[in-house]
Amino acid sequence: MKLDPVTLEIMSMKLSAAASEMAYFLKRTGRTLYIKESEDFSTAIANLSGKFVAYPQNVGVSGFFDLDCGPAIQAVGHLDPGDVILTNHPYMSKGLATHLPDLTVIRPFFHGDKLVAYGWAFVHSADVGGRVPSSISPSNSDIFQEGLMIPPVKLVRKGEIDPVVEGFLRSNCRTPEPNMGDVRAMLAAMSLGEKRVQRIIEQHGLETFENSLGDVIEYTALKSREIFRKIPDGVYEFNDFLDDDLVSPIPIRIRVKMTVSDGLIDLDFDGTDLQVAAAYNIPTAGIRHAQLTSWLTSFVLTHDKTVPQNAGMLDPVSIHTPKGTVLHPIFPAPVGVRHAVVHRVMDTENGALAQALPEFMPAACAGLIIPTVLAEPEDANGDRNVVVVEPMVGGGGAWNGHDGPDGRHSGPVSIGNNPIEVTETGAAVTILRYGLRPDSGGPGKWRGGTGMELTFKAKRLGSQVLGRGMDRFRFQPWGLLGGKPGAQARTILNMGREDERDLGKIDVVDLGPNDTITVLTPGGGGYGNPFERDVEAVLWDVKRGLVSDEAARTDYGVVVGGGVVDAAATEALRAGQPKPDADRMFDFGPQRRIWEAVFDDKLMRRIVAVVLAQPSGGRKAFRNRLLAPLLKALDRYRPLEAEELAELGRDVTRNLEAAEAAARPNSEHQAAA
Amino acid sequence: MPSIGTLRVGIDAGGTFTDFVAVLPNGQMHYHKEPSNPADPSAPVEAGLRGLLQNEAIASQTRGLLVVHGTTIGLNAVLQGKGARTVVLVTRGLRDLLEIERGRLPNHLSLHAVKPDPIVSRDLVLEISARADSTGEITDFPTAAEFDAVCEEIGRLAPEAVAIVLVNAYISPKLEAAVEREIKARIPGLLVTCSASVWPELREYERAVIACLNAKVHPLMEAYLQSLETRIAGLSTTAKLQLSTSSGGVLSLSGALERPIETMLSGPASGTVAASRLARDLGISSGITFDMGGTSADIAILTDARVEFTTSSHIGALPLMMPVIGVSSIGAGGGSILKIDSAGLLKVGPESAGSRPGPVAFGLGGTQATVTDCYIALGIIDPTNFLGGRMTLDVDAALAALDAVAKRLGLPSPQAAAEAALSIATVGMSTELFKLLAQGGHDPNEHVIMPFGGAGPTQAVMLADDAGLPGIAVPPAAATFCALGAVMADARRDYLRSIGQTGWYDLPAKIWSAWSEMRAEADAWFAAEDMTVCGHRFEYQIDMRYAGQSHNMIVHVDEEVVASKNLSGVAEAFHKAHEALYDFRETDEKVEAVSVRLSIIAMVPEVALATLAPHQGKVEPSSHRKIFHRGGWVESAVYQRPSLGGGAVFAGPAVVEQSDTTTWVPPGWTVTVHPTGTLLINRSNADEA
Repeated sequence: MKLDPVTLEIMSMKLSAAASEMAYFLKRTGRTLYIKESEDFSTAIANLSGKFVAYPQNVGVSGFFDLDCGPAIQAVGHLDPGDVILTNHPYMSKGLATHLPDLTVIRPFFHGDKLVAYGWAFVHSADVGGRVPSSISPSNSDIFQEGLMIPPVKLVRKGEIDPVVEGFLRSNCRTPEPNMGDVRAMLAAMSLGEKRVQRIIEQHGLETFENSLGDVIEYTALKSREIFRKIPDGVYEFNDFLDDDLVSPIPIRIRVKMTVSDGLIDLDFDGTDLQVAAAYNIPTAGIRHAQLTSWLTSFVLTHDKTVPQNAGMLDPVSIHTPKGTVLHPIFPAPVGVRHAVVHRVMDTENGALAQALPEFMPAACAGLIIPTVLAEPEDANGDRNVVVVEPMVGGGGAWNGHDGPDGRHSGPVSIGNNPIEVTETGAAVTILRYGLRPDSGGPGKWRGGTGMELTFKAKRLGSQVLGRGMDRFRFQPWGLLGGKPGAQARTILNMGREDERDLGKIDVVDLGPNDTITVLTPGGGGYGNPFERDVEAVLWDVKRGLVSDEAARTDYGVVVGGGVVDAAATEALRAGQPKPDADRMFDFGPQRRIWEAVFDDKLMRRIVAVVLAQPSGGRKAFRNRLLAPLLKALDRYRPLEAEELAELGRDVTRNLEAAEAAARPNSEHQAAA
Repeated sequence: MPSIGTLRVGIDAGGTFTDFVAVLPNGQMHYHKEPSNPADPSAPVEAGLRGLLQNEAIASQTRGLLVVHGTTIGLNAVLQGKGARTVVLVTRGLRDLLEIERGRLPNHLSLHAVKPDPIVSRDLVLEISARADSTGEITDFPTAAEFDAVCEEIGRLAPEAVAIVLVNAYISPKLEAAVEREIKARIPGLLVTCSASVWPELREYERAVIACLNAKVHPLMEAYLQSLETRIAGLSTTAKLQLSTSSGGVLSLSGALERPIETMLSGPASGTVAASRLARDLGISSGITFDMGGTSADIAILTDARVEFTTSSHIGALPLMMPVIGVSSIGAGGGSILKIDSAGLLKVGPESAGSRPGPVAFGLGGTQATVTDCYIALGIIDPTNFLGGRMTLDVDAALAALDAVAKRLGLPSPQAAAEAALSIATVGMSTELFKLLAQGGHDPNEHVIMPFGGAGPTQAVMLADDAGLPGIAVPPAAATFCALGAVMADARRDYLRSIGQTGWYDLPAKIWSAWSEMRAEADAWFAAEDMTVCGHRFEYQIDMRYAGQSHNMIVHVDEEVVASKNLSGVAEAFHKAHEALYDFRETDEKVEAVSVRLSIIAMVPEVALATLAPHQGKVEPSSHRKIFHRGGWVESAVYQRPSLGGGAVFAGPAVVEQSDTTTWVPPGWTVTVHPTGTLLINRSNADEA
């Protein structure tokens, strides 16, 4: 490092504060609720190669600090003072924008006529055109349906907005005014950033500033590697699943091989499933990418929350994502709902790390966000009032020494809810219950956090409920070291009534008069043997109504009635429990066990390999033919059954063998033909 | 009008000291400090008052006593989880209202993030079948049998207080009041807080927090205020007691007994009130108050010399949506600890040694060097005259601790380490300050720092220097400034009516009646409040947005506009504010309103600040001492603040000493003593220009 430790600390604070100031400015002057309420925006200061040196804390989207502006800057070429680049193109910006609504700007920061740094900002805009209002739909099958694509272009030339670029933008979205309002707020935040950088240079000199851009990253890399050294050297493999990709009932598998050596981490996602024809792909361009590393950055920040948030934190990490998979899709794969897969990537890395550090890592969390949406019937003008009743999340995973948080969990996104009184003012809806979901936290010596429940009814006939981001209906958040998995998600019509009906993973549901709908989110996984849980802790859960008397007895071996523990009966019950299998690290729940008994790692790798050997244009059709037996027989709304699945597995394997044989140049199969 | 001879005493009870400012009718002031007594907090109040009343100079000039008191006992009880055992009654289906909060997980980037404990745990939350719909119509009400059962359950839980929070009760207080009547009929004497009676604003969680806070501090504030009242009555038969509030106003004793929540953030609010008054007298338009203590520094922003209010403050981790004076806290104080991290970088804070064990030099067991140790090592603070000589400092211990830091950093001396640490601490403060200013949309280049508290004046010039601020104004009696603010504060009460999501064409039916109802309520309150004031006025505000927006702006509306029911005048106030921030406006038809607000401000007779006599003769330092600055010792003049008269001018390097704080004036800065006794400190070359 070139700077002395005192100057470096001062420069680090000033750069980080400048990035935060840009973010607060954007939040204050931005126009849409994406900025004001969801804080779906961010800002940063980048070094001359386009990597972030300073990123805001406690405002905006966390965890995007390992993005790379380099490719977008190179695509545009020469930049003058006052120029600003605009792009939203996930493929041409090589993952700088991760879906089309994220309007992204880059401004070169000059000191005199010398280029010294870059400013960056993005805002999730209300709409960028495409097939559906707000542009995002999981069932978009290619990126052209997702809206206007803007390659990296100069939106502003020497301080003047290019009317041609603005014209294209305005003409291709449903909300031109709010979008331009947000864009102008970003431009103003960029110019504030440049002023702050110039001020730092005036106070500390150009050389100190230039040295600080390298030193801050180097220092951060030193700190994060020191923390990564806590992971024992070794190779850790793990996979986790999304229930399905919405357009087909087949699970999506995320697979990682994590190799750790002296604080250097390699993540190899070889064996991960193929890209899908739904908007679940993450456009990483095959490079190290913020959306694949957020669990690792959380790992660092768990040990030391003062480590600066910049690209240096991931310097010790390398990544391999095979082209053509959900984690490195090929244009024009749709990407709008990529965050659903980001959750599962985090779970997968969590599982790998848990094998390395079982005393530190938590069990799986619920790993989803379900914005539960009510669409009211059309009014006289043909408009529909569409509101998010509540953004539903689930419980956190427990870890050694602590229960998982109830009804929320760690991760890069921490979303605020909607007051019931606000929701009931904005739509004709009555919320009957909004609370924690008892008995849903994975039992364990340390209990997984409970999921949540939302029950409501609509007053207007013709109202519909839409579920987005629904997952973990089949595969549960797993438990760790004897801990049980959290309860899976459910949606139920008329819960508790005679006509109660499980709806499963919903797309759109029509509500009849007096119908109630209930969304139950998953609980987090438990940690450790539940029969060793402190009896007082079980009693406290019972007193608070988070664990029922019955569950206390069956899941924890604690006999309790009327708020009092029967100590003798408890001791007897607990003594009679068989010791849990000491070798079994994870409890995945029955559905995943059934699935993996047939579709194991070996079979899944063979399927991916044989499809990837096909020319990219024909892969989808080829895969559908290969998996035709599954596509025909699997039902998203029905649990997997072992025997049936074994049969399907044999059918798929036969298809696979034929395909593999066909792929071998001199195979018997060909000879026979 | 006040009787000519009333003695006004402001009292600010803090964690370490209870400060007193006695204002005589001629504007003359007496300052006093008593050590606080957490076991019996009203004892030092009584002791200090007795001392003041026995003072000949005071007794001879005054008749009658008005005590304005700010206390943090409610706040401390809540922060330490020592509030009353409270049962909460909520609408069926919402038992987890307090568990869920607003859904966000603090520190969510940590894999070990935990959610805060709810203000009331789930076992003490009871559901009842009482509810209104979004128009305020009651759709569910418990039967007598359900009330019997609920009251039996309340009896079993044996709470000290009860809070009632029902869905959509913000529209009308009647629903919760009806439930309260039924409960009290069955359990007489129960202390009950209804959410809508304290603050009837939309958003059930935030309203529940207000109701719970009020309930939790209710019993102990009642006990404290009653004992205080008795003690003060024993001192003076004509004494009147008032309480400072979080919105920078005062409340009568009976008001405080009913709504103790309003007193919780009174300390910082009072300091800001005094700063605002002083800023006006000094002609400072944009100011930043900087109250630096042992563990944190409180900052408030003054615009046009006026305090700013916020509706998004916090008590600990709990949100408070009632309007209070906007005071933000940053984690930097005299007790902030120096640390070298594994990569060899020097960090200052966020860990703090507070006042116990405190800085190494205090000799109370502290072993890690702190910011205060740095001031001492550099010679900024005189170790032989700390707190007017009331505390002896162990300089050698401080130097030894700093020497260890210096060795690890490869710096030549403990002073070099101290200077490095102070520059880091200063940058930490200036960057936090910039973020705060950015959130409010302020330009940092215009703001004058008004430092108070024990360490504020010591640190302020360094902060102004790094942050590029134009100057500093150190108030007289900087360390008892909050007590002064208490005496200066006007009586104030805020009202709010939620009107749902009301569109343009429905506004006339809602807003005029809301304002006139609130005004009638305010008039009734004012008539009943036993206060000596010299007039009162109203302020009108409305929370507006354009259709489709989710974010409201609180907009001031002129009294004439309200009086003449000028609807387009109301809209214009919003259009203007919106245009100033976003550069565009929409048509009147797109305007919506959510809440209507009214404040009544009853002005207390203005405190005449005494004027310093002009300085006679040359401005002479009382002594000189060496202060370490930019790598070397500089000979610095030492001035005694009481000896400085109006108009005195001197340049740094200098320190100004007074019994409770020290002002450090580095080279390049010049002090001018203003007739109010304020030290105005500006860049020297700026003065020459």
